[in-house]
Amino acid sequence: MIEIKNLHASVNGKEILKGINLTVKAGEIHAIMGPNGSGKSTLAQVLAGHPAYQVTQGEVIFEGQNLLDMEPEVRAHAGVFLAFQYPVEIPGVSNSYFLKAGLNEIRKSRGEEELDSMQFLKMLKEKMKIVEMDPSFINRPVNEGFSGGEKKRNEILQMAVLEPKLAILDETDSGLDIDALKIVSSGVNKLKSPKNATIVVTHYQRLLNYIVPDVVHVLVNGRIVKSGGKGLAMELEANGYDFIREEMQQSA
Amino acid sequence: MSNEIHHYTAEFQEFQQNGATKSPSWVNDIRSSALAVFTDRGFPTTKLEDWKYTNVSPITKLPYHYASVVSAVPSELVSSLFVDGIDQHLIVFVNGHFSEEHSKLNSLPAGVTVKNLISAYATHQEVIKEHLSKYATYNENPFTALNTAFINDGAFVHVPAGVSVEKPIHLLFISTGINGTYVAAHIRNLIVAEEGAKVSIAHGFSSAQANTNLTNVVTEVVAKKESVVEIVKVQRESDTAYHVENLHVHQYHQSNVHLFSLAVGSAIARNDISIIIDGESTECNLNGLYITSGAQLIDHHTFMHHIHPNCPSHELFKGILMDKSRAVFNGKVYVEPEAQKTDSKQTNRNLLLSDDAVVDTKPELEIFADDVKCTHGAAVGGMNETHSLYLKTRGISEGSARGMLTVGFAAEATQKIVHPVLRQHVDKIVVDHLRKKFGTANLPDIVHA
Repeated sequence: MIEIKNLHASVNGKEILKGINLTVKAGEIHAIMGPNGSGKSTLAQVLAGHPAYQVTQGEVIFEGQNLLDMEPEVRAHAGVFLAFQYPVEIPGVSNSYFLKAGLNEIRKSRGEEELDSMQFLKMLKEKMKIVEMDPSFINRPVNEGFSGGEKKRNEILQMAVLEPKLAILDETDSGLDIDALKIVSSGVNKLKSPKNATIVVTHYQRLLNYIVPDVVHVLVNGRIVKSGGKGLAMELEANGYDFIREEMQQSA
Repeated sequence: MSNEIHHYTAEFQEFQQNGATKSPSWVNDIRSSALAVFTDRGFPTTKLEDWKYTNVSPITKLPYHYASVVSAVPSELVSSLFVDGIDQHLIVFVNGHFSEEHSKLNSLPAGVTVKNLISAYATHQEVIKEHLSKYATYNENPFTALNTAFINDGAFVHVPAGVSVEKPIHLLFISTGINGTYVAAHIRNLIVAEEGAKVSIAHGFSSAQANTNLTNVVTEVVAKKESVVEIVKVQRESDTAYHVENLHVHQYHQSNVHLFSLAVGSAIARNDISIIIDGESTECNLNGLYITSGAQLIDHHTFMHHIHPNCPSHELFKGILMDKSRAVFNGKVYVEPEAQKTDSKQTNRNLLLSDDAVVDTKPELEIFADDVKCTHGAAVGGMNETHSLYLKTRGISEGSARGMLTVGFAAEATQKIVHPVLRQHVDKIVVDHLRKKFGTANLPDIVHA
């Protein structure tokens, strides 16, 4: 589905990603873990196309296409979705208007018919059940005045509506209590299929109890330094990131 | 004597003979002394600190003639200026003259007066005499002096003690061009909310067509003890017209005032908004939104005067600028030595949608008390990249993202409007205006949390 080769990226002239290599296949869930400042969120932002980050080397092939050549909205049309760590509040604009606008632009780009308001609302109400959201959120301004948990649920709702091929979840567990974490995770699990893939970016292993990864990667200082099965996450939880650093020093 | 002053002196003589006969003689005395001040000072120039960023010479060089003729406007035009089925009390003026035909005032609560100033002298002369020209003094602002010299008609609102007016009262001023004449309307309004009264007022300015009229307004508002007053100004005149208003509020002990100024119209608009917070534990909220495009210039000069202790004041002005337009925001807060525990917050945020647009923003805090909390902040910038990215990652195009975020930026200001009918009225005008300026119907209607 996606192949990241030797990806280097910097922000304001400072190199953050220093040669990332990662391949994710359809049907897989990959977790990217790492200490603060390791470049996890930068990787997510670069894949989504944040203009503040400059890609200086490497390439990203998504479904046979060069992802880095595409504008962010074209990436969304192609099936890439980023759930933000800090979802943006858009006062004045209703959740339903926002979602309908996105979905219809995606459908249009695929040559599909746009949904009218009736069809859209019917579908939206079904999708809201996945994240146990109250229908009153339909007409509230996007994320404005939402609690941390409500914002993250809204991210997963957007994912459910837009049905991406590749979903990147950036620190979706941050700021969530255990109940919200369960709802959000169960939403992600319900959306999982053999045709789509998920990259879960997280600092803590906790989320991976609920969203079980096929592969865990450890990102330190802009590089993936270790990859393994879900047991690796447990190991990190037990020993912290220091043991990785020590391993790195020993091998160096 | 300069040509400009000569022109207005001649105008004044004609006005006194033909236009000003319906008012009591004490009003005439006020007119004459205001004219003396105007002829002494003349129009302001950019050499004056208060007018540094706003050059009014396009207004002053034109031979404006006070609107002596009562002009008609079609009723379809009047009804097009509101949301369908809006529930309100309406008083309409055309070029500053009362239009009985378009006004709808038959369901006012008992004791509440909404009429034109000229006819109010017969019933409320004492109230008018007590307040008229007592707050918006003409010594400092030449446009106020000119307005006062030409005091004729305008809206008079009086809400007796303890009375609440639930539906908004709409004061609507329509300007209409007269061929071959530069029409000036010097509109004079007086709004008095007595003790414990409650009232919400829409203060609307529209043009019947593209015209070059000058609308020069002075509005004095008195909010007596424990009154609750909301005034929502909507200025959407023709972008070739000129608009000047001195809106002056005097509020007393434990009153609560909400003001909102929406400015999207006229070639040059200058809004002076002064609030004298003259009573302890008195709350003032002053908010606004300006949207400029083309070569427009919209200027807000606000003045918040804290005299007594324990008064909060909140001020948020937001601006959206396009093309080669300009905006000025000057926010003065003056805290007297006695005004301890003042809690004052002022914010001005500007969204520049064009590289050629210019904002001059200037907070001006003068604080003479030592135990106060006064903050201010000003920001000028383009579209936030992260916000924009958020929308694009949902498949939304650059253009739609820009439109939605602009609507969102505006909504953050309009949500400060308290009366739901007035908020809805302003929201619709804002979105309609943005749709026109963005050249697309593809912008969302505003919803609030």
